[in-house]
Order: sequence, then C-alpha cells, then structure tokens
Amino acid sequence: MSDIVNYHLTVNGMDYPVNAAQGRNLLSVIRAEVGLTGTKEGCDDCECGACMVLLDGQPVNSCSFLAVQAQGRAITTVEGLQQGDEMHPLQRNILEEGGVQCGFCTPGMLLSATALLERNPSPTEEDVRIGLSGNLCRCTGYAKIVAAVQRTAAELHP
Amino acid sequence: MSTTSVPRFVRADGPDKVTGSGRYTADLTLTGTLVAKFKYAEVSHARIARLDVSAARAIPGVFAVLTQDDVPDVRFGPFVQDRTLFARDVVRFEGEIVAAVAAIDVPTAQRALNAIVVEYAPLPVVNDIEAALAADAPLVHEGWSQYGAADVLVRERNDASFASIAKGDVERGMAEADTVVHSRYVADGCHAAPIEPRAVVAQWEGNKVTIWTTTQVPFDARAGVCETLEMPASRVRIIVPHLGGGFGGKCGFHYEAHVAALAKATKRPVRLVFSRREEFIAPDRRREGIVFDFETGVKADGTIVARKVWLAIDNGAYTADAGFFSQLAAMHALGPYQVPNALAEAHLVYTNHQPSGSVRAPTAPQTCWALESHTDEVAKAIGMDPVAFRIKNAVATGKEGPSGQVYDEIGLVDCIEAATARAGYGDDLPDDEAIGVAIGWWPSFSAASGAYVKIDGDGSGQIITGAQECGTGAVMTLRQLVADELGMQPEDFELVYQDTSAAPYDMGATGSQTLFNNGRAAIAAAGQIAEQLKQLAADMLEASPADIVLADGAASVAGTPSRSVPITELAGIAAGGELLIGHGSGVPPAAQEVSGATCIGDVGMTAWVAPQFSCHAVRVKLDRDTGVARVLHVSTAHDSGTIINRIGATGQVEGGVMMGIGQALTEGTRYNDEGQQRNAALLEYKLQTCADAPPIDIHFVEINTPNAGPRGAKGLAEAPNVATAAAIANAIAKIAGTPIRQLPMTAERVWETMNTEGSPA
Repeated sequence: MSDIVNYHLTVNGMDYPVNAAQGRNLLSVIRAEVGLTGTKEGCDDCECGACMVLLDGQPVNSCSFLAVQAQGRAITTVEGLQQGDEMHPLQRNILEEGGVQCGFCTPGMLLSATALLERNPSPTEEDVRIGLSGNLCRCTGYAKIVAAVQRTAAELHP
Repeated sequence: MSTTSVPRFVRADGPDKVTGSGRYTADLTLTGTLVAKFKYAEVSHARIARLDVSAARAIPGVFAVLTQDDVPDVRFGPFVQDRTLFARDVVRFEGEIVAAVAAIDVPTAQRALNAIVVEYAPLPVVNDIEAALAADAPLVHEGWSQYGAADVLVRERNDASFASIAKGDVERGMAEADTVVHSRYVADGCHAAPIEPRAVVAQWEGNKVTIWTTTQVPFDARAGVCETLEMPASRVRIIVPHLGGGFGGKCGFHYEAHVAALAKATKRPVRLVFSRREEFIAPDRRREGIVFDFETGVKADGTIVARKVWLAIDNGAYTADAGFFSQLAAMHALGPYQVPNALAEAHLVYTNHQPSGSVRAPTAPQTCWALESHTDEVAKAIGMDPVAFRIKNAVATGKEGPSGQVYDEIGLVDCIEAATARAGYGDDLPDDEAIGVAIGWWPSFSAASGAYVKIDGDGSGQIITGAQECGTGAVMTLRQLVADELGMQPEDFELVYQDTSAAPYDMGATGSQTLFNNGRAAIAAAGQIAEQLKQLAADMLEASPADIVLADGAASVAGTPSRSVPITELAGIAAGGELLIGHGSGVPPAAQEVSGATCIGDVGMTAWVAPQFSCHAVRVKLDRDTGVARVLHVSTAHDSGTIINRIGATGQVEGGVMMGIGQALTEGTRYNDEGQQRNAALLEYKLQTCADAPPIDIHFVEINTPNAGPRGAKGLAEAPNVATAAAIANAIAKIAGTPIRQLPMTAERVWETMNTEGSPA
C-alpha cells in the first residue's frame, strides 16, 4: 500500500494523528480512523447531507471531501456540539420540538443548522428551509426541525 | 402558556441521537471484522451458464466466497416459497444475489467480485405487468406450480395471487345507473428510501450466532435465518441497534442469513453495509406499480350503485410479503364507500423487476390516487361537487362497506368535514390554484405481542419489550403507558428492546401495530406490578389492596392521602423478597364477522379491526406553461382513534404527507427495456426537501372506538401516507382540466397531458 500517508486532523478541538490511504474521504477517516461514528453515511454521493461536518465553520459533505485536504482546518462533528454536560440549544430544541425520529439525518441536520445560524442569526422560515435543503429527512416532513431552528434563533438572539 | 400543560414528550432515545453517541448497525466494529460484498445478477432474466468463483477464492485477503452450493438448499418466502438465498440456475432481476464475498477490506472484496466468472444465457425479460398475464407470456418461474405456497392463494403462471371481492350484482347495478364512468390509471413503483442504508453484522460463538441488523421486524428476521440456515430459534439472536428509518423497506427477512453464512465460513465477524445504489435495486421491499381499470355506475342524485375494478400489481421477480396485496388493493380500489353492487378483481403479477413488498401502507397510496381521481371524474360527470359526492357515499357508523363489513363507531364523514373546512374549501382561489380532496382508509393490525416490566430495588424501572422502534416513537410511548399504570413518571423507565433473546415476541415496526398491540402488552405487564405494589402497600398501611391508589410516585390509601408510602420504598422491600416483575401479552382484538361478499383468494383482508380513516385537502399551484405543480398547503383530518402521544402523532402525519407529496410529484422508478432501474440514485429519484415542504394542518377526529387498542388508540404510522397523492391529483386535474393518468405526476407528464389533443389515454 504505497499510497498510505501520515497526517493530522483537528476534530472538535482535538488533534488526531491519521495513517490512511491518500484517496480516503473525510467521512470514512472520521468514522474509522478518528473513531467518531456520529457522522453518518447515507449515499456517498453528496445527495443526502447525512455526512455533513463543519470545516472552519462551513458545512461540507464529508463523503465527497478528501481527508488529507482537511489538514490544518477545524473540523466539527456532531460530537463537538455539546459543551460539557450541557446540550447545545439546537440539540435540546430539536428534541423538545419532536424533530428527531429515526435520528439518522439528525447529525448532519444539526451541523447544517449550526452553520446557518452562524451566518444568519435571525433567519426567516424561508431562510431556514433553504438553509437545510441539502439535508434529506424521510421521517419528519421537516416542520418540527424548522421549528427547532427558529426557536433556537429566537433564544440566542431574542 | 398554560401552567398545567402536559409535559413535553422527549424521546428516551433522543439524547443518543442528537449527540452522535447512539450506535446504528453500520457503526459497530468487532475485533477481526471482515467486509461483505454481494455479486449481483445485473441482468434481469437469464440462465446461469457458468459460475466460477475459484479465482476469487484464491485472492489473498479473501476469506470466503459463497454461492447457493454453500448453503442449505431451501426455498423460502412467506406466501410463496419461490426464492433461495443465492440464485440457483436462473436469475430473475438485476439485484438478485449470485455470490457473496467476505474479505479483509473493501478494495479486496471488490477485487474478489470482479474475479467471479459468471456467464449468462439470456431469457426473455418480462417487463410489462399486463403483458405478463397473457396466456403465452414467458414465465418468470418455469416451476411455479411446484412451489410450496399458502393454501388460500389462487395462482396461475405469472399470476402469483389472484383475489376478488364480489357483492350484489354488478352488471344489474350498472344497468340501473344513470351514468357510468370508465377510467384507466397507471402507478409506477417507488421506494421506501430510508436515509440509513441497511447493514448487517454477524458473529458466531460456538453454534450460536448473534446478528446485529437494520430490520424493522427482528422476530421475522430470526425466523428467516432459522428457515434458510436450518437452525432452531434458540441459537439465533437478532439485535437491532438504533434503526435509521424503515417505512416498510426494512420489513421482512433480508441479508441476515447471507452475512451469518459468511461469518460461519470465515470464523470471523462479518459486516455488510449497503451503498445507496444497492438500497435501490436489491431489497424485496419497494412500493409496487399497479395498472387500474375502473367503472362506476351512479344515479343522477349522486348515489353510487355499482363499481367494477380490475387491477394488476407488479409483484416483481419474487413474492416476498406481497401475497396479500391483491386482496388489500381490491379493498382500496372499492374504497371506503357504500357500494351495493361491487366486483374487484386483482392480480399480483410476476415480472423481472425488483420484488415488491410492504412499504408504508402497501398498495394504498397509489390505489387511493387512482380511485379518488376516478371519483372526481364521476362527480364531474354528473355535475356534483366532489366533496358532497363523497359525503353522500362514504362509509359511516352503522353503514355497510364494499366487503360487507358494517362499521361500528367511525369518523370518516367528520374527517371530510374537518379537513375541507380547515382548508377553506369553496373559497375563491387564483385561476392557477385549486384545492383537491381525497379520502382514504387503512386497517389496524391485531396481533400477538409481549412485554416484561420490572422495577429494581432503587425504584427505577425497565420495560423489556419485543417491539421495534423505527423512528415513529411508538416504542418510546410505552414509557408513558407503563408510568400511568403505576403512578410513576415516564423518565423512571428505561427501555430494553430490539433483542430477540431478551424479550418476548412482537411483530415489529410493521402494520402500524406497535402501540396497538405492544401497548396492550406493556399495560398488562405493568398491571401485574401494580397488583404487587398494592399488596405490599396494603400490608404496610394496614389497608385493603383494593383501596390502594398508585399516583405521583406513591402508594396511598384512597381518601386518606396521609397514609402513603413511596414506590421506591416498596421497591426496596420487594428487592429482598418477591421481586417486582410483570409480564404481559393480552388478547388481540378480533375482527368482526363479515357477510354479504364473496371473496376468492381470501387472506383475511376484508374485515378490518378498528379501521382508520382520513381526508386530505391539498391546495396546489400549477404552472400551466411548464407543468410544474407546487403544493401550497395540506389540510389533514384523521380518525386514528385516541391520540396518546401528540408530538409523535403529528410527526407521523407530517412525515406521511411529505412522503405522499414525493410519490405524487417526483418519486417513481423508471425501467429501461431490459427491466433495469434507470434512476437508482437519490438525485435522479428525487425525495422532497425542506424547501419543498408546505405547511401541514393536522386535525384528529377522536371518537370512542370499540374494539380498538389501548385507551381507544388505533394505528397511525401508515394512514397519513394514503390520501395525499390523491388529493394533489384532484387539485391538478381541476387546474389542468383533465386528470393525469400516470403516477408520479411529473411536470413532463402534466405538460404532456395538457398539450395532447383529445382525451388522454
């Protein structure tokens, strides 16, 4: 295996040495090498958003991003949203609003919403709907997810 | 804000799911795990002329390559035993498994697949449902008559299950009609498309195997492994980690036996994880395409006097659980109407397509779409408002339905009135908008089910249930039911579930049955503990057990709240003596006797226990220049009995409606001339996104239902998926001036219909 390379990734503020084939995507390295399985694979083709992570705060489908290219950048996964024992308001609100059913799209959805609120702290409902349109959910019909994001925006920026 | 509001429902599995700590099957790794990959037929119908796996087996890092020669030679299938684990002699659809590989990593497994030599002699591809019924059509199964099958099935050549419902005299009814309307509709097949692709991990210890899998029906999956690998149930353990959605697509027995066989052959744990393409082409659970022919005779005053329906369902290459679809579709085609003279004939037809199977309300959304489109045509033909026409003819309390069932308390007419009023039906709209209305129905499924409840010495409880949670929240709601029985809080209970070796039987997350049946079981189990607690409290408080009340975490003497003991204290006492353990199952409610209709191929689908009803009224805007329809608002009213978990229930309606919108407008499988899927990817298939989702108004008609589930609950998860596409169709037809006769009603089809001279096909 001549294409194995050594590099470092910073995931949720922690440095991880990685030893993996050069062509590996970020999703598979986060799941199998870094060992964080909260990031999900739904299609491996940038179609569903289940694998979304933040790179320096920007949402990226990690299935279609080379892991080596993420060196030197701050990677945030769903495991990095919670600070200590306290859930992020988005996590709490999506539960209380009933926006979680099977939960498989939830990590990507939460990161997408985090990025949205970062760039637009007071989004309209339409802003939220467009902001989350790269994340497919088959269970909820989206209404309760949108409500959770709007409630979070109102709490953070009353 | 009301200070007495009910506490918000927060799922017991919620923290796992929002923090990323919850494990799904594909997240599991065991020491030494190998990668499984399948070799698929890729062609739709061919004889295997040569299959040689020796080169694949010789590749370093390949631990096993299995074919049908390496597993017990068992034909299986719940209705028709027409299938083997691996193809034997003939392949009948592109996603049929020819061989399975277990290798050290993905690239090695892929190299092994490439090294498998398979040569095919082509057979004629059966690609059209109606052509497959012709007397001289090529057979999908040459040996169909030798297969084992359920005795009630009526089978002939490519017709795997014929069913009919006949009532009154349909020809005389037609002759008495003032107007007879004839319609033809065609629905394409489509997919459950859960966001989690399926995954299976298997590991043997001695002669026992543990299989972690993405099934909705763990006990059914276990039965499949036992049947195909010839093992007793006691040596097969199925565990389902968190399940990332199913919608019926993960019902039935799928790849658990293949992966178990690989793990046995390699003496290593083996893991299979599907790609999205595999998820589209391989499972025997996609929504069936159907061809419909309707004829309804009606009096000038709007009374239906006769209805005749012929329909043919695409069974695909193997029968899976679709054996009951013909009778179920016949019921949906006659519909929730009073029809004195009825004849429905339904065929389940083998083709060389992916097999059909239960996807959220199987046969119902597309049959409702066709029937309700036809119903609007009938109303239009006699110049009657389609809502008034439905109210006049709909089944109601004390009235007889098309199969002869006389309904006890039901709320269909209430649903029609509520949904249309809340939608503003009848108000003026812009000329490119319209409100379409449709009604639907769906059974509640009565079945055996079991649960245990225990309370430990510290007063914390566990509900150990055979039920399966696929996201709906039905299992989560058990905490509420049990807590209410014991005067405790839902948070006092943890759930132990989705493990066939830990819990008693339940049918699984299928047929909207979890709360209906397992709720009954959990309440019965909790009731046994309630009796124990009352006895303990009675001894301590010197009262009669009959006078003890369990509430607010304490056992108290009725009328004397000061004579009270905390349940935690009683639990501590019990921990040193007779333990607090309850088990429950309860008696499933029985269906009414039905008379008045003659049914051929009767699989018991004509009499429905606690039937559910719905009406959807959908406002649609249609761009006449492009054929693009946009759903602006959906008004729903459902009679699903008592609503126990309101957040969960509204979530089911919202999700079901969105799935219905997708089925209406974009979701449909397209086949090429060789019977292969042309859009087996999410972008080409097109699910609805957050930006597509309209506001959804939800109203529950909660009436006192006899013979229902716990506290008067019926099922709910499938019913909201039934009427949406039909209501959208009727809105589009109003604006377009003519119905769209093929589902999904894509922009191209709408435009073509509007721009075709004369009456559409």
